[in-house]
Amino acid sequence: MSTATTPAPVAARQSAAATRRRLAIVGVIIVAALGFLVYKGLTSAIVFFKTASEALANRAALGNSTFQLEGTVVHGSVHHLGGASVAFELRQGGATIHVVNSGEPPQLFRPGLPVVVVGHFVGTSDSFASDQIMVKHSQQYIAAHPSRVRAAGAKKSPARP
Amino acid sequence: MKSNRILRLTGALGLAGVVATFWLGLFVTPNAEFFGSLVRLLYVHPSMAWVAFLAYGMAFLSSLLYLWPRTRHPRFDHLAGASAEVGVVFTGLTLVTGSIWGRTTWGVWWTWDPLLTTTALLFVLYLGYLALRRVPGDPEVVARRSAIAALIAFIDVPIVYFSVTWWRSLHQPPTVNLASRHLYVHGIMAFTLFLSFASFTLVYAWLTAQRYRLYALAEKEADEGLDLALEERRAEGVPA
Repeated sequence: MSTATTPAPVAARQSAAATRRRLAIVGVIIVAALGFLVYKGLTSAIVFFKTASEALANRAALGNSTFQLEGTVVHGSVHHLGGASVAFELRQGGATIHVVNSGEPPQLFRPGLPVVVVGHFVGTSDSFASDQIMVKHSQQYIAAHPSRVRAAGAKKSPARP
Repeated sequence: MKSNRILRLTGALGLAGVVATFWLGLFVTPNAEFFGSLVRLLYVHPSMAWVAFLAYGMAFLSSLLYLWPRTRHPRFDHLAGASAEVGVVFTGLTLVTGSIWGRTTWGVWWTWDPLLTTTALLFVLYLGYLALRRVPGDPEVVARRSAIAALIAFIDVPIVYFSVTWWRSLHQPPTVNLASRHLYVHGIMAFTLFLSFASFTLVYAWLTAQRYRLYALAEKEADEGLDLALEERRAEGVPA
């Protein structure tokens, strides 16, 4: 009787040990992954975008690969091309890059704002073809002046029929 | 009885606060310069992210208390589970409201920016934690295993918070900056923002307390169920 019942507890103990081992391995992997992220962060190695000056400095190495490019939209440089395309210049740290974006820019897109564009350099030139514009904005939220809005509305009203 | 009344009051205040936040946020606060009416997401999105952090912080503390031999008690395991569950809900809401805000301001629903990526990781980590809690086993072993997992998962919380300063991000720094104690919003807009923080915190407290009570009830039911079964067996006259 007793010999027949012994294998079960042994098996249970073995499977419990296996479960514990498996959990330990999973734990180690998770800790290692998170540690790697922190390490990368502290060494500033995770780069979501390259700035315009960095992109030009590494122009040869970047070739025609796709990456995120950051810069400020230069005032007076925005031109709407045929269709939904838009061309403009990005400036950052003294470097300027001509960008042609296919597709409608986001509603908050305007000159003077920092943006991140996704795309690649065209051929061997320093101009950039993008298919996505992301508008960066600050953490400041300032109430719009109601009287200014009304003044703007009043100025426009004579033009209405 | 008294704790029941406090709980009910918390729920009522939380609900009233959320209603007031929506009323102020949608009808009373002004449009913002540059953002126009898009600014109104400010009154839901940051407070939800805050509640997620708070919930995970609570789960972290309770798990520590559970692992510490002198304070080990199932109630801390239950509190950790309850808090993390509410945290997952609010992380999901943070991702959804953030995605909506991202689409309207940045122009994209999603991008693999460091903050967004680490927040998505946070969501998955705590979903994993909740799944781990349901892996069957000896209650004490499950509780200890879960507590360790909660401590590990919490590592990602400071990473999420500091990702905008450590790495190049599309996301702007926090509007309520804890480090520099600077507030980047004023007047009725700031008031509404703080009201949203307070109301969602009360909602968190109410939800967590209810979930905690459910844990306690489930345990009671399991215990009484076992007692009942034993009694029935005894009544049948089966030798133990």
